[in-house]
Amino acid sequence: MYATYVIWTRHMRKFVHQTEELVGLALQSVLWVLLFGVGMRGMISDVGGSDYMSFILPGIIALSALGGAVGGGMVLLDERLRGIVKEYLAAPIPRLSILLGSAASTATKALFQAALMLLVGLLMGARLAFQPSGWIGALILLAIFAIGFSGLALGVAAISRSIAGYHGMIFLFNLPLLFASNALYPLEVLPAWMKVIVLINPATYLIDAVRALAFGVEATLPLWLSALVLSGFAVASMAFALKLFQRSLRA
Amino acid sequence: MNEPAIETIDLVKRYGTLTALDHVNLQAPAGRIYALLGPNGAGKTTLLSILTTLLPPTAGSARILGFDVSRDAAEVRRRIGVTFQEMVLDPLLTGRETLDFHGRLYRLPAAMRRQRIAELVELAQLTDAIDRPVKSYSGGMKRRLELARGLMTDPQVLVLDEPTQGLDPQNRVNIWNYVRDLNRQRGMTILLTTHAMDEAEALADLVGIIDHGRLIVSGQPSELIAAMGSDVIRVRGQGNFDHVAAIAATLEGVSRVETDPADGLALIYADNGSRRLPAILNTISNNGFTIEDVTLARPSLGDVFLHYTGTALRD
Ligand SMILES: Nc1ncnc2c1ncn2[C@@H]1O[C@H](COP(=O)(O)OP(=O)(O)OP(=O)(O)O)[C@@H](O)[C@H]1O
Ligand SMILES: [Mg+2]
Repeated sequence: MYATYVIWTRHMRKFVHQTEELVGLALQSVLWVLLFGVGMRGMISDVGGSDYMSFILPGIIALSALGGAVGGGMVLLDERLRGIVKEYLAAPIPRLSILLGSAASTATKALFQAALMLLVGLLMGARLAFQPSGWIGALILLAIFAIGFSGLALGVAAISRSIAGYHGMIFLFNLPLLFASNALYPLEVLPAWMKVIVLINPATYLIDAVRALAFGVEATLPLWLSALVLSGFAVASMAFALKLFQRSLRA
Repeated sequence: MNEPAIETIDLVKRYGTLTALDHVNLQAPAGRIYALLGPNGAGKTTLLSILTTLLPPTAGSARILGFDVSRDAAEVRRRIGVTFQEMVLDPLLTGRETLDFHGRLYRLPAAMRRQRIAELVELAQLTDAIDRPVKSYSGGMKRRLELARGLMTDPQVLVLDEPTQGLDPQNRVNIWNYVRDLNRQRGMTILLTTHAMDEAEALADLVGIIDHGRLIVSGQPSELIAAMGSDVIRVRGQGNFDHVAAIAATLEGVSRVETDPADGLALIYADNGSRRLPAILNTISNNGFTIEDVTLARPSLGDVFLHYTGTALRD
């Protein structure tokens, strides 16, 4: 879908023009890692056989991808509220390509952030496993994960009437996603009932897989399962976004 | 005449219980400028949204260049250029990026995009500003950029929703000349909406008057005006308009009287205005009407509008 690519380049162009957003995202990434790193390192020295920095980094990266997805939804909402979407709608391109373009730019920004965080994390003492194929696999899964959450955010953005309404709705599913996951504590230490909730959360699969692929921690969940869950999640959430988007156009 | 470039058949659009378009049958011939004239809320934007495939009709159908807007939406989209009522520009992009991006959406090759941009920048008088971000543009510049964007794909049909809304007189005339040139030089079919009478007069080969979702009348401005009679005496003042209208209508040479009390206006159509004027004024002032202002003129498009809708069109 060529139009997806065109819209992606447009969003990237805007991203580059908007120096504040760029610098903001970069600083945010650095800050997250610094705060978690410095704050937690004093208390906890290692978790499940790895140092805490390596343990926490995948979670922070996943979290920042969530933030990125929220931002990606904002771009669509902004374009909707300004009427810019009409330019796309009057053009001979599929509706889905509008959403995919947004999701792709979100994923790109998430990768950019992840790279920065990794860098800072390494400086702070995280230990990467030396297996480049694993790194690439981790980045691919991260992109799929970002697209998945973009879908949810885009769906909400497609029907929100205001920026405040959008943030209200997003908040509802954003916070539980962080705490009801294995981002902060290993899966094994959780009580059974909580494990069930955590296992519904796609973030859990991403984090587990990234730990295994990039940091050489032994995976708690099979890798193929994580890849499957994340892909299914991305497809389902884009379908959700498309449905809501199309509904908003029938007004 | 051959097949119209734009045609709607019994087009209906409802928003819930509100009927925004009520069986609209519009025909705009190829190569002409058609102006859709109507007050706020008449349904102009709704009609254009359906024609540009942004909204599905509730009932009826619409075709552009023979393609149905619902069934062959992609074909329609490929062939039309659009500007929307509100400014739809990304403030962060430069003018050049805006045009280039639009061309890429329509898969124009790079060389063609470069060439079109060079032409359009000239035509839209944006040479100095084209590499600045759009947020630094004035209203008139933004409008010209939007027009240029609509033209990037060299469309056969150009659809403009209130192209001069919010512009100063000089910019309005600029846009008018621009639109006229496009029509004359490229034979482009242009459908535009406006609620400014002078705009329709300046541009339109054909005018359609739309009010409360109904296309009330359409035709060439000169024909519509000629059908009104030879002269019109416009009387402004205060008094009982119904009474005055009834009496004036009985006078010799008076063919019709129309009033718009909200505007304090009575229009008296007469066969020979200058000869009938003294008798008419005499009669109405003797019937308790206070005359504040009188003009005698050939009927205008504004009078046509009042005749068909019952109210004057206010800007
Ligand atoms: N999305 C919508 N939902 C509900 N009602 C709508 C919607 N859009 C327009 N309307 C109503 O439909 C009617 C026609 O609106 P439309 O925007 O087509 O008028 P218009 O002629 O373009 O007016 P204007 O000159 O102010 O632009 C109005 O009564 C308007 O309130
Ligand atoms: Mg309108």
